Amino acid sequence: MTRLVVVGHGMVGSRFVEDLLDRDVAQRYRITVLGAEDCEPYNRVLLSEVLAGSHSLGSIFLPTPDDPRLLVHQGMTARAIDRQDRVVVADDGSRHRYDQLVLATGASARIPGLPGLGPEGGDLPRGVHALRTVDDARALLAATLNSPRAVVLGAGVLGLEAAAALVGRGIDVTVVHPAPALMERQLDGTASTVVTRAMDDLGMHHRVGVGAAAVLTRDGAVIGVRLTDGSVIEAGLLLLSTGTVANTSLAAAAALPVDRGIVVGHDLACVTDPRIFAIGDCAQPPSGATGLVAQGWDQARQLATALTAAALRLPPPRRDSAEPMTDVVRLKARGLDVVTMGVCGSARDKDPTHRTLRLSDPDAGRHVEVVVAGGVLVGATCIGAGQVAADLVSAYTRRIPVPDDPAYVLLPALAAGAALHGSDPLNLPPEATVCRCNGVSRGVIDDAVAAGATSVDAVAAATRATTGCGSCRDDVCALLASRATDEVREPLVTAGKHTIHDHETAGS
Amino acid sequence: MSTATHCPYCALQCAQSLTPSAPGGRGVQVEGRDFPTNRGGLCQKGWTSGAVLTAADRLTAPLMRSDDGELHPVTWEVALDHVAARLAEIRAESGADAVAVFGGGGLTNEKAYQLGKFARVALGTANIDYNGRFCMSSAAAAANRSLGLDRGLPFPLTDLAGADAVLLLGSNLSETMPPAVAHLADVRERGGLIVVDPRRSATAELTVDRAGLHLQPVPGTDLAVLLTLLHVVIAEGLADTAYVQERTTGWEAVTRSVAAWWPERGEQVTGVAAGTLRRVARRLAAASPSRGGRGAYVLTGRGVEQSSQGTDTVTAAINLALALGLVGREGSGYGAVTGQGNGQGGREHGQKSDQLPGYRMIDDPAARAQVAAVWGVDPVSLPGKGKPAVQLLASLGTPGGPRALLVHGSNLVVSAPDATAVEERLRSLDLLVVCDVVPSETVLLADVVLPVTQWAEEEGTMTSLEGRVIRRRKAVDPPEEVRSELWIWSELAQRLGASGVWSTEPATVFDELALASAGGRADYGGVSHARLDTGEAVYWPCPAPVDGTIHPGTPRPFLDTFPTVDGLARFVPVRHRGPAEALHPATQVHLVTGRVLQHYQSGAQTRRVAELVAAQPEPFVEIHPLLARRLGVEDGMPVRLTSARGDVVARARLTQDIRPDTVFMPFHWSGAGSVNRVTNDATDPVSGMPEFKVCAVELAPAVQGRSVA
Repeated sequence: MTRLVVVGHGMVGSRFVEDLLDRDVAQRYRITVLGAEDCEPYNRVLLSEVLAGSHSLGSIFLPTPDDPRLLVHQGMTARAIDRQDRVVVADDGSRHRYDQLVLATGASARIPGLPGLGPEGGDLPRGVHALRTVDDARALLAATLNSPRAVVLGAGVLGLEAAAALVGRGIDVTVVHPAPALMERQLDGTASTVVTRAMDDLGMHHRVGVGAAAVLTRDGAVIGVRLTDGSVIEAGLLLLSTGTVANTSLAAAAALPVDRGIVVGHDLACVTDPRIFAIGDCAQPPSGATGLVAQGWDQARQLATALTAAALRLPPPRRDSAEPMTDVVRLKARGLDVVTMGVCGSARDKDPTHRTLRLSDPDAGRHVEVVVAGGVLVGATCIGAGQVAADLVSAYTRRIPVPDDPAYVLLPALAAGAALHGSDPLNLPPEATVCRCNGVSRGVIDDAVAAGATSVDAVAAATRATTGCGSCRDDVCALLASRATDEVREPLVTAGKHTIHDHETAGS
Repeated sequence: MSTATHCPYCALQCAQSLTPSAPGGRGVQVEGRDFPTNRGGLCQKGWTSGAVLTAADRLTAPLMRSDDGELHPVTWEVALDHVAARLAEIRAESGADAVAVFGGGGLTNEKAYQLGKFARVALGTANIDYNGRFCMSSAAAAANRSLGLDRGLPFPLTDLAGADAVLLLGSNLSETMPPAVAHLADVRERGGLIVVDPRRSATAELTVDRAGLHLQPVPGTDLAVLLTLLHVVIAEGLADTAYVQERTTGWEAVTRSVAAWWPERGEQVTGVAAGTLRRVARRLAAASPSRGGRGAYVLTGRGVEQSSQGTDTVTAAINLALALGLVGREGSGYGAVTGQGNGQGGREHGQKSDQLPGYRMIDDPAARAQVAAVWGVDPVSLPGKGKPAVQLLASLGTPGGPRALLVHGSNLVVSAPDATAVEERLRSLDLLVVCDVVPSETVLLADVVLPVTQWAEEEGTMTSLEGRVIRRRKAVDPPEEVRSELWIWSELAQRLGASGVWSTEPATVFDELALASAGGRADYGGVSHARLDTGEAVYWPCPAPVDGTIHPGTPRPFLDTFPTVDGLARFVPVRHRGPAEALHPATQVHLVTGRVLQHYQSGAQTRRVAELVAAQPEPFVEIHPLLARRLGVEDGMPVRLTSARGDVVARARLTQDIRPDTVFMPFHWSGAGSVNRVTNDATDPVSGMPEFKVCAVELAPAVQGRSVA
């Protein structure tokens, strides 16, 4: 039996538990989970949807397996790790022994050091919120009721999603973003401009390249924000979406190596203690943390697979290069269709092996860029691209080989959306199939009509066309009608009779 | 004088009139006959079906392999004596389970029933299974688990016409059962046809010119599509909460199980745009009765079921249908589109390794007692659960595995996954006996070949995709030395000294089937040939008369209650795991398989019809031009697909209708063009269904013998 303690019951911690129970076919594990929040695990990614009103709070709770191998303590915070005795000490003094410990403590909203926000770690002024927890979402929802104007500080993914959600609630929103481009890790200047146009269409104000200088308050409540250019935006609601900070204090206090996150190797184990693992937003793997849940879930799956394989003394699972890429960024905001992956954004390095093709149509709100290298798609930026973005994501995440010339990746895909079929049966060549069910070509139907068939039933009797699924009935009618019209036209009558004559001769 | 019967091929069982082409001759003229399902229509296979009766290489005498290694004609007496003697020897040496039986979904109800009885009573073996395991087992397992009953379509096909939306997952009706498409005409007019298929199949094409939708997900991600649709239904408050409350259990757990499937994540996994997924969920909801729609249907086919997560995928489809309040409501519902001619009846009467007639479980003591009583044997003498098909085939000829196999109505060498391995297993047997109408690839491996009757030469019943029991009737005499399986089993049973009655009369066997099924889930107790001959439409369950009151049959089960212990349908939470075989640097392309209109299953019948062969002469590989360009493949060029299991060669067909990361190949051919040499034999943990529909392959031009002169 292996005693495993999981600290953190968020999206990644709870997923890890599910994955481990699934894979633990030998039933070796006994799992204890300490979750600081006093509620079931929930889908944090959807908090912006809750703010938008498109999801109810009740619909975002995640599965908690009912399993004798699992014990979950909700509302219990881990206070310390005693690595000597291999015990996690909780805030109620209870001690939880482990053979293996998984830290999934997540991250917290980063609160910028701005005049007016009060001392670090202290209470924020009324009307100032982050959006990281269910409690944040509840508080924000309440705040929207009496604040007609809002400022969203930071136009990353969460900032833009929250801004769109607030706009949807009829609030006058200004997005303030100090970098020269929105979502600058994902978008360059051109792409950012296309997005700001879409924001204009939504009636969402934006101040890009301008930072906040101070938060203005009165009687402990926010009344506005002064920007670095000296201008002031009045607002009773300030949403801080200025990044996150990994929750590493528990690990640091246990003398585990901590940088921006808890430092782990490729095997997700802490570099100085092989019994302790870190996954999700609190971890810093060699490839770096993306802050995206896809990465955390991939880590949960990897770790669950590795631990159960080791428990069965199986060889460690092969980490082959077909593992999915997990750095796709997808905005969930009505009216803002933004998807990026891999090589993208303002700060990318020039790479001579990359071939980049960009199609920008800002007036139509569309901008697509693909980057190809070594026969695979290594990056893409898609704004207003719909299904094309979805196709690029599948090619990227699965490393589907693509032609070296990026034009072949992009042009057929965009053209296909516009392509229409020539569906008029009169344009079909004689060898084209009209009745698929019975393999009857246009020529055979024309012959039947020429031989005297004047109704669909007569054509069916002669050729079997229309006697299967019946979908070609309209086409057969059209062919019959065109023949009827032909017969009215003098010169063609003769031609038609010749056809009949030739046909009879050929058939006799 | 014409005979009213039904087509020999698929589960739509189109009605036909057969007229002998010459008095006393063996050929027939085929006409379509008016019937609710096909309305007089037939596809090209149906029109030309008569040609199989007079196939030039029709088996017309028993054959036995002799010392020269060739098959030679022998008398029935010699063939049956030999088979019986060898079966008895093998049983005496290695036990009853050393003899295995493999059946088929094309056998009549009477034969399916008698084959199960023959295995359990005359052979005493637990090892019987059938090719329906490749076909309906995932849909069956899911429907039984969630709804308490597996009747493919629990409503007449004609009901579809009234709906506002039909979600069709992994089914290419336009090619597999063309006349069924007519029933979608009205929903197409309303713009409500939604097709989910990685290819723009002929069926997906039906959505193009009208306002329907075609979703083209990454192969193996249909389950993620369904989880996302349910997520949207729940998140946007579109569920039928009153129905969920009154008629189901398990809602809370299912709600949570889809909380992690928001559309943008669904898009990343499935490759279907988030906006499209939302639109589909809303379209279905708008069509649902609780939101004022005319009705909606969710239908699944082999495309989503032949997967290592097939049972869970069907379960997710049922969960969606339950959430929208569709199941057990007239004008709405969930259904599985059965494939083989008697794929429905074939799975009800005891050919499955774990079942007795009437869809009873073989490990249920009450079921064993009742069936044993009908069979006149001691319940203790009945064997227990045997191995499901893929496991059974893999065990043939291995130490402790079966040494002999009897094959009925199946061409496993072409139709089983990892077909090369299956062929090896068959060759390793001490005795292979195959009953068939033509020398199929499996027949050619047999030690003994027994020629049997086919559709127009026999009486019996079939159960169509809508659960309606229909009559198959004899129009012409079979060739002189051809026999029905019923006769063969009766002869073998006598030679093996089996107890009980072994009738050779289909009507009598049916009466026994009705008795054995009485009280089971698939209750045929009130059905008889005579009743069906009145033309009455009888859908099972149809119990025997009670106090003289004749049961009318059940066109639409579930209207009042579900046949579960508490009468409620079950929401069962499921997870998306993805295909058993992921893409890999060496095998970078998904392979999906399917059918073409002109051919049926392994092609044993249709490859013998000149008109069909002319229309579709050889296998091919559909490839997107983008993929073809990268690999230097041109239209018409032979290409090779290689998987971990084997390789296959066929001509390339370039088409925009397939995803650039996927190739498609039909499975009707044998030898070097047999795609099942490549497909994956990984199975669904619940149903035992193999993962035909997705595997990873390497695609390359097939270099023609580049010999150095």
